[in-house]
Amino acid sequence: MKKKLKKYALPLSIAICIGTIYLCTLTGITTISFGDANKILLNQIFHINLGMENINEGATAIIWNVRLPRVILAFLTGGALALCGAAYQGIFKNPMADPYILGVSSGAALGASIGIVMNFSSNFLGSNGVAILAFGGSFLTILLVYNISRVGRKVPVATLLLSGIAIGQSLGAFMSLLMIFNNDSMTQIIFWVMGSLNGKGWDQVLIVLPYVVIGCVIMLTSVRELDIMLLGEETATQLGVDTEALKKKILFSSSLITAAVVAATGIIGFVGLIVPHIVRMITGPKHRTLVPFSVLFGGAFLILCDTLARSVTSQEIPVGVITAAFGGPFFVYLLRKRKKGGL
Amino acid sequence: MERLMPRIMLDFKDVVSGYGEKDILQGFSATICQGEFVGLIGPNGTGKSTLLKCLSGLLPVKSGVITLEEKNNTNYTQRERAQMIAVVPQSFDIDYDFTVEDIVLMGRNPYLSYRTRESQNDYNIVTEAMRATKTLNFRKRFYNNLSGGEKQRVIIARAIAQEPDIILLDEPTSALDIHHQIEVMELIRNLNLKKSMTVVAVLHDINLAARYCNRLILMKDGRVIIDGTPKEVITEANLKKVYEMKMFIQENKLFCKPEIIPLRVIKESENYRSLKIHVICGGNQASQVLEELEAMGHQVTAGVVNQGSDDWTICDVLGIPMVEESPFTAISREKQEENLAVMAESDLILISDLPFGHGNINNLIGLENLRGELYFHRNCLNNDFTEGELVKQLELIKKKKTVNEMNSHQEFIKMIKERTLINEK
Repeated sequence: MKKKLKKYALPLSIAICIGTIYLCTLTGITTISFGDANKILLNQIFHINLGMENINEGATAIIWNVRLPRVILAFLTGGALALCGAAYQGIFKNPMADPYILGVSSGAALGASIGIVMNFSSNFLGSNGVAILAFGGSFLTILLVYNISRVGRKVPVATLLLSGIAIGQSLGAFMSLLMIFNNDSMTQIIFWVMGSLNGKGWDQVLIVLPYVVIGCVIMLTSVRELDIMLLGEETATQLGVDTEALKKKILFSSSLITAAVVAATGIIGFVGLIVPHIVRMITGPKHRTLVPFSVLFGGAFLILCDTLARSVTSQEIPVGVITAAFGGPFFVYLLRKRKKGGL
Repeated sequence: MERLMPRIMLDFKDVVSGYGEKDILQGFSATICQGEFVGLIGPNGTGKSTLLKCLSGLLPVKSGVITLEEKNNTNYTQRERAQMIAVVPQSFDIDYDFTVEDIVLMGRNPYLSYRTRESQNDYNIVTEAMRATKTLNFRKRFYNNLSGGEKQRVIIARAIAQEPDIILLDEPTSALDIHHQIEVMELIRNLNLKKSMTVVAVLHDINLAARYCNRLILMKDGRVIIDGTPKEVITEANLKKVYEMKMFIQENKLFCKPEIIPLRVIKESENYRSLKIHVICGGNQASQVLEELEAMGHQVTAGVVNQGSDDWTICDVLGIPMVEESPFTAISREKQEENLAVMAESDLILISDLPFGHGNINNLIGLENLRGELYFHRNCLNNDFTEGELVKQLELIKKKKTVNEMNSHQEFIKMIKERTLINEK
């Protein structure tokens, strides 16, 4: 019975994710009837016309150009963050690691703040300047952190974590300075930092998608080595893992994915931290299952959070607030469980 | 002809290595052939584990060359090396819930590329490794829930699954109880004998090393002190160079291997006024009292002892001057007089717990004329084979001299301590 469940777990989870995408696309503040929404989706995806005459163009735009891309972006973002979180927790052998632990978020935030202050929000090099600066900021940060901690060919994990935190803190200080001297941009920066999927469309989906797909492929080809890394770097080396190459591979692919996601959506916290933990509790620590289920579960989790964020009140709540509201107590629970010798 | 020449698996030539500026290995050289079971022994910090780290590619060599199967060790990739060398560390814990089978399966990693999944052949090898280590019946259990001995067997199973030519062990038994120590060592010996795997093991327990290894390398300060069979290496002269302590070596009759018995490292912390004490002994009961008196710093002498007796051995090891007689011979008049001359100098004379017979009763002749205080262990009367001569002799002494009787050697030690302790306040 258990074996059967294991065999069908992955297709079942994929089905649940598609179901979540579907249901959450139908949910929203603007009331669009169930039938109409289905007709719009069928028409747009499969070009099956079941009487589009009675549906106004506004409804079509809301379903097709607002809700669906937003839900898909939520899925990709949540999946990507959970994927990077799982990978980082593996190579750092540290359950507190998340995709932002090396300062990627601070770099992105500083980049975005500069963009906002200088009013680059649109039409900078033909694209969204804030997003480009955020991406650049996070990528420069990771390069800096990596090179600070590098000793010859090796990158000691402890040094990497500490320099990540140190650089993150200093960049955060710069951002605070920027905000103080640019009072009028402050609200905008705060909203950006809290992370939101508001107003995001197919453009962002197309930017994020390749990173997530490539990231998944890289992680899935490293699952055995990531497992072995959990036994410690020395043991991994003695079992034939080129630990430095693996670290570099995971570090840079995760950073790229995170940078892309953060540039598109801002800093959405806790997904990358808690989702891998929940999945690990259910599937065990092996990355062959941990990686795909983290992506699926992280994606579904962020869709639900985002749906809450946009439909509970008429005033949209940043999704980062919702994930943190769920994530905070969970984090406390984890810490307490760890104290008892679990995890 | 080729069969006579054993294949050289490992060759160390003037290897220098260490952490940061500090060199731990300072010119280590040795050659290890296929099928050898080599034990690395020596005190902490002499570079035994460092050597294993250099070999398994964790630590670069600063100078010198390690040749692994005819190629410089640095020219192998980690994956190639892992196909030849498996490492069994001290038992370690994992923070994650891996099953025993997961852990053993990791041993197949050096043979798998990122594209391939474990094949049926890999699973067969893993099953066989678990069978050999008797871990098969708990292969679905979590590694973390196993006992220390079981964990160590799982790690050895993983090493077997690597199908290596050489297996390196870093203190594989130091965390185990005596039963599991033997179990693990026997397991490794089986690998060595049946699969002619070359074994290099860092061992702290010299007796265990002497028993299982067919070659020992004694190290100090990153160099080889001596390299040879256990009999050649485990001698007092060699070990004294390395360990600062009192010990003695005896042959373990059961295994025909030398065996070390460590005695004492720390000198008595208190200071005692030195006395000249003579112990009449020669049986097998006086070892402890001799050792304790010696450790307190007294000038201990002994006699007359038959060579080869236990009391003789301990005097020999501790360097206590003694009057000796040939084995299984009655004490000659000549030796008896020699002993009397030694005792004439003594402040105290202890007649220790020993059986008296016609052969050694003349130890007591003439004691009544000596200046030293006389102490007598009462238990001698229970082991009296002299048909009354012992009692007669004691009566004779008591006429001229006080004989202090006591029931144990500890009573004597306590009395001596109280009398000679130098109170520094």
